Amino acid sequence: MNPEEQLKVQALLDGELPEREARETLSWTQRDSAAAGLLAELKNTRQALAQSGPRAGLPESREFFWSKIEREIQRLELRLTPRPKASLAVVLRRWILPAAAVGLVIAGVAAYFHGRTAPVEALMDAGAPVVETILADGDATIYRDVREGTTLVWFSPAAGSDPARNPKPNAVN
Amino acid sequence: MNHSSADDEALVKAARQGDLAAFEELVFRHRDSLYARALSLTRHEQDAVDLSQEAWVKGWQRLAQFQGESRFATWMTRIVINLCLDHLRRQKRHRTDSIEELEEERGGVERHMPVVNLNPTAGLERAELRKKIDAALGQLTPEHRTVLVLHEFEDMEYKAVAAAVGCSVGTVMSRLYYARRKMAALLASAREES
Repeated sequence: MNPEEQLKVQALLDGELPEREARETLSWTQRDSAAAGLLAELKNTRQALAQSGPRAGLPESREFFWSKIEREIQRLELRLTPRPKASLAVVLRRWILPAAAVGLVIAGVAAYFHGRTAPVEALMDAGAPVVETILADGDATIYRDVREGTTLVWFSPAAGSDPARNPKPNAVN
Repeated sequence: MNHSSADDEALVKAARQGDLAAFEELVFRHRDSLYARALSLTRHEQDAVDLSQEAWVKGWQRLAQFQGESRFATWMTRIVINLCLDHLRRQKRHRTDSIEELEEERGGVERHMPVVNLNPTAGLERAELRKKIDAALGQLTPEHRTVLVLHEFEDMEYKAVAAAVGCSVGTVMSRLYYARRKMAALLASAREES
């Protein structure tokens, strides 16, 4: 018997052959002793398996076995349950307030450093009064208030000079 | 609803509506057969327990897909079989086959086996026969055992086995042929020994 014939005998046993082919194969197995022997062996094995298929009982108690399934089901259900939408108060508390606080701190730090290094012109543009000391001319001090449109110049007499020459500040406008 | 007296159909309906106690009753009724199927495929007790548990969890998740076209137990068995086949495929990737196994896999060895003329199981007690069959199944490679189990115990046709295992019908036929012939030889030698 070649492999093809062997598989044909098996297919006959399993009812997998078309009707005509099944008839032909059956008649061949009745004539051929090797084919008949093979068919008998396959039949016996199939019968033995059908009679005594593996049967086994779980080695775990019902409660223990179920508890693991139940836990897993509950875990999955919990994961699949959609989370409720966060309320406005929660969003405020979680994101906006901390962001605002950070923003304020940054602004404060920036303002502090900016105030320390701002040039006179920038401050003047902002309209804040400015006091300047002009050292080149001895002891002249200028007070400018852009908002008020006022400029005051003090001439303090240098050491040894006549105080009567510049007794008061002059207003220049 | 009295769960223990309700039929499977009613329990499935209740379980679909979220009745976990109804599902527990279904697990209680069919847990042994599912475990037995997993064990016959994996041949490993703990793997069989884990895979059958996984199958029950999947069954719960997919209850909505169960349309009642087959029995609930059959539907659940298909789930555990698929899980076992995935498990065996993963194992196969990490397994090194022996030369003998590779020869078996290629086929042809069965052609040299002498035909067992007598029924090797005749006269054996059911329990004894079951023990011998179980031992013989354990000596088959996972590939041959899988095909034999699906065809003999699940009554699956060649085409269905091929689809489940992911191979051709021709491969199923030759694996089944080899598995049966090897089983016959193993049972005959076991009978001689006893």
